[in-house]
Amino acid sequence: MARKQRILDGVFTCLILLAVFCVNLLLQNLFHTQAMTPMLFVLGVFLVSWRTQGYFCGIAASLASVLAVNWAFTYPYWAFDLISPECISSAVVMLIVAIMTGILTTRLKHQEKLKAEAEKERMRGNLLRAVSHDLRTPLTSIYGSCCAMLEHFDEIPREKQHMLLEDIRSESQWLNRMVENLLSVTRVDADAVRLAKRDTVLEELIDALLVKFHKHYPAQQVLVRIPEEFVSIPMDPVLIEQVLMNLLENAVFHAKGMTHLWLDVEPANNQAVFRVSDDGCGIPPERLPHLFTGFLDSKAPADSGRSNMGIGLSVCSTIIEAHGSTIHAGNRPEGGAEFWFALEMEEACDVEQQI
Amino acid sequence: MSNNKYKLLIVEDDRSIRCFVQTILEASGYQVLTAERCQQGLLMLRSHVPDLVILDLGLPDIDGEVFIRTAREAGNAVPILVLSARLDERDKISALDLGANDYIVKPFGTGELLARVRAALRTARCKNATGNTGHIFVQGDLVIDYDRRQVRVDGVCIHTTQTEYNILALLSQHVGKVMTYSAIIQAVWGTMDDGSTKKLQVNMANIRRKLGCRPGDNRFFVNELGVGYRMLDAE
Repeated sequence: MARKQRILDGVFTCLILLAVFCVNLLLQNLFHTQAMTPMLFVLGVFLVSWRTQGYFCGIAASLASVLAVNWAFTYPYWAFDLISPECISSAVVMLIVAIMTGILTTRLKHQEKLKAEAEKERMRGNLLRAVSHDLRTPLTSIYGSCCAMLEHFDEIPREKQHMLLEDIRSESQWLNRMVENLLSVTRVDADAVRLAKRDTVLEELIDALLVKFHKHYPAQQVLVRIPEEFVSIPMDPVLIEQVLMNLLENAVFHAKGMTHLWLDVEPANNQAVFRVSDDGCGIPPERLPHLFTGFLDSKAPADSGRSNMGIGLSVCSTIIEAHGSTIHAGNRPEGGAEFWFALEMEEACDVEQQI
Repeated sequence: MSNNKYKLLIVEDDRSIRCFVQTILEASGYQVLTAERCQQGLLMLRSHVPDLVILDLGLPDIDGEVFIRTAREAGNAVPILVLSARLDERDKISALDLGANDYIVKPFGTGELLARVRAALRTARCKNATGNTGHIFVQGDLVIDYDRRQVRVDGVCIHTTQTEYNILALLSQHVGKVMTYSAIIQAVWGTMDDGSTKKLQVNMANIRRKLGCRPGDNRFFVNELGVGYRMLDAE
């Protein structure tokens, strides 16, 4: 990568110098004056220092320019005269231009990086704020229920005790799913390199997902439509399972009036399109544009209830982006919401024959 | 009186996890020993000879994997149940390949823990009783006849290829235990190369189809994504 960049820089430098040299020759023949020569070379040096990495190309270009001016455009023509004071002073000027431009560009690049980091930091801060708020809600309930149990053990009737304990259990399960989401984000966040991508059998993924989903929501039926044949897709199965889990949960929590929940996977053009759809109340159109980033910019009041779904959806979009794709959301014309994303399938190869 | 109780050893550094696991297990009639450190755990393994070990991998003194390796190298075949976090599949696989019998993902519920403990104890007992598993394997509607190399579901004979039968037989001989991809491949094909996992997955897909398994309604075995397969225990 770095080597390729260096070669590109070198080629760019040579091209610029060559262009400047030719233009100068042309102008000299047209106007018989050399007033423009040093200016054009300074421009060339500036361009080189600006567009290339580091100082090397700029300095090399300035030295080459000095030599070129000295050789071709000052008396004696087509010969070097390196010890004249003019030559040395123009060399110094060129060098200063090259170095200053280099310094300025480097500083600019550095500032851009800082800005990007600050933005990332801001998002992280927002996420943390949203998360700590979201963690506090179930924690309050767990802590409160436990305290009530411990301090008033004898006064609370048995059924009530049972209810409190049930609450503690469901709230901690909810906490756990939240933490899983956060873990996924941190895993993906670091430049998306830690994706544990491997060929995953679609049927096994869907099976594991449904088993997990039914453990939490035994009453909710999911209508699955996947291809009959053996389909293997390169992905990080833990993360994609999490995406689908979030989408299904999202429907359970937010699709009011839902009677059907579908999970479809269709192969199309060497891609597998995953689609989770329901026939519930749909997504309010004004929320659609910010659905996946909503919580990051939300100025929602600090106690606007649970926003795990906001976090859940942004986790989905982060994971899908790390897989080099995009997640989409929309409302179905028949009513209800749908979410879909496509993953690249591997090259179709006939494994069956090898067995 | 407690002589006929199973003796379980918990090696876990976190007090509250240790405490609740102990409570659950004692309430279910097991005799429970606890250790906080790996070293202590190994000592107790030698002196008390437990029937099952529940092991946390992240111990403060020595990594839990060392516990597994030390126990296995000493020829100790005690079933080991590993407690692991969700995301580190590599840890799970390496623990299983080192000789752990099963893993359970934190956080876990009572039912899940007890089911795994029962499965591990039963597998160990079967092995001790006959030296090998019996001539026939029954799990709900699934019957595997080892003598005739035959598989039946709901009383109907299922035609399987050699490979498919070998995989099924292997899984059933280790019922309740997760078999990693590499363990199955080693046992069925003997060697492992780049295409092996895929080959195994295709075979498993065929087996599922033949046994009539639908996604989400897999009666006979569990897909442990990215790790391997586990034959479900008839309970």
